[in-house]
Amino acid sequence: MRYEDSELRERLAAEYVLGTLPSRARRRFERLMTEDPALARVVAIWADRLATIDAATAAEDPPSRVWRSVEARIVSRGASPASGQGWFVSLAFWRGLTVVASAVAAGLIIYVVSFTGRPSPPPAEVVAVLTDQSGDPSWIAIAGPRGGEVSVSAVRPQAQDSRHSFELWAIVGGTPRPLGVLGQRSGNVSIIRAARLPPPGDLLAVSLEPPDGSPTGLPTGPVLSRGKVLIRPP
Amino acid sequence: MYIVKRPEERSGSGSPLQLQQLIRSTSRGDRAAFAALYSQTAPKLFGIALRIINRREEAEEILQEAFVAMWERSAEYDAAKGSAMGWLTTIVRHCAIDHVRRRAVRPEGRSAPDEVLLGLAAAERADLGAELGALARCLGEIEEQPRRAVLLAYLYGFTREEIAADFAVPLGTVKTWIRRSIERLKRCLDP
Repeated sequence: MRYEDSELRERLAAEYVLGTLPSRARRRFERLMTEDPALARVVAIWADRLATIDAATAAEDPPSRVWRSVEARIVSRGASPASGQGWFVSLAFWRGLTVVASAVAAGLIIYVVSFTGRPSPPPAEVVAVLTDQSGDPSWIAIAGPRGGEVSVSAVRPQAQDSRHSFELWAIVGGTPRPLGVLGQRSGNVSIIRAARLPPPGDLLAVSLEPPDGSPTGLPTGPVLSRGKVLIRPP
Repeated sequence: MYIVKRPEERSGSGSPLQLQQLIRSTSRGDRAAFAALYSQTAPKLFGIALRIINRREEAEEILQEAFVAMWERSAEYDAAKGSAMGWLTTIVRHCAIDHVRRRAVRPEGRSAPDEVLLGLAAAERADLGAELGALARCLGEIEEQPRRAVLLAYLYGFTREEIAADFAVPLGTVKTWIRRSIERLKRCLDP
């Protein structure tokens, strides 16, 4: 086809937006658009012209499970849109990293405890290590300080601002249950009751939420870290 | 089913500039920006997906698929080329249209295109937006059957073949209707 013909370009662009191009022709046209910015511009003008028709269509809130599925899918696809098929896609690799991350975090705890020079307390029992998308440990849950309690703290400073908070979730059988907003400053420890934790094998997760936590009782922002519960705390 | 929204609500709750910034941040892997983009645009886009699909569960799937596509394609969006909402709407509509084409039977229970047009015309009378009014007026200048063909395609994702079957006319006639309608709309909208 003679794609330099301006009338043809105009018609194909309009039909692309209208949705009347047959599927194969549409995909061919999409490839052309990526190579031809001027053509993409003609398409965008038609999209804006015709989108006016959408004014007559009422908005409707989708159920929250849609966002959760979107999020689960982008998490499994890679760290950033540009990276496309990231290494994150491999569950086996992810599991491997979690083991490494747990070992790293466990090492860190022992190091800190032995460096204090005090009489050695009993080794801290790691309840869970939450890792971010790159597999780096970001939050850790350890048993204590008292029986029936679990302390959750950031392993390293977490990027934060006053418009957001980090909220901890128990994910039991795929369903999130809020456990509370975590202390954000480095050194802050949040204490939760051990009974509220999911059983070993289930997940803890941290999501980005409004300052007072999710208003809906379900994660509304991206899940930043997650990790398996390793033991039932004493 | 159709409600004419006030112009400031037309493009979802975010301003066009905010949406552009959110797409740009999304392309750098900023998940919080992507979450904000979702919360500001998903209701309108869900309304559009429902209009084409007319089945809730399937429209939810489409919305999900479209947002994953947005995440992956966010780097392609160029603010200089058009509005953020136009770009987002095109992605959702194409996901929905692909879905409808894969399915043998069309969902029932949609409003006639002329009712929608009346809604747009009412918006013009109520002076709810010059842009809206201009499109309604220009569509009104097209003959009835070609106009309905254009609206069936845009509103519900009808293929050329489905339009031909609906009006009991040859496929060639539908192609001509669409081509001429596009030319007339263009002339009418950019004088």
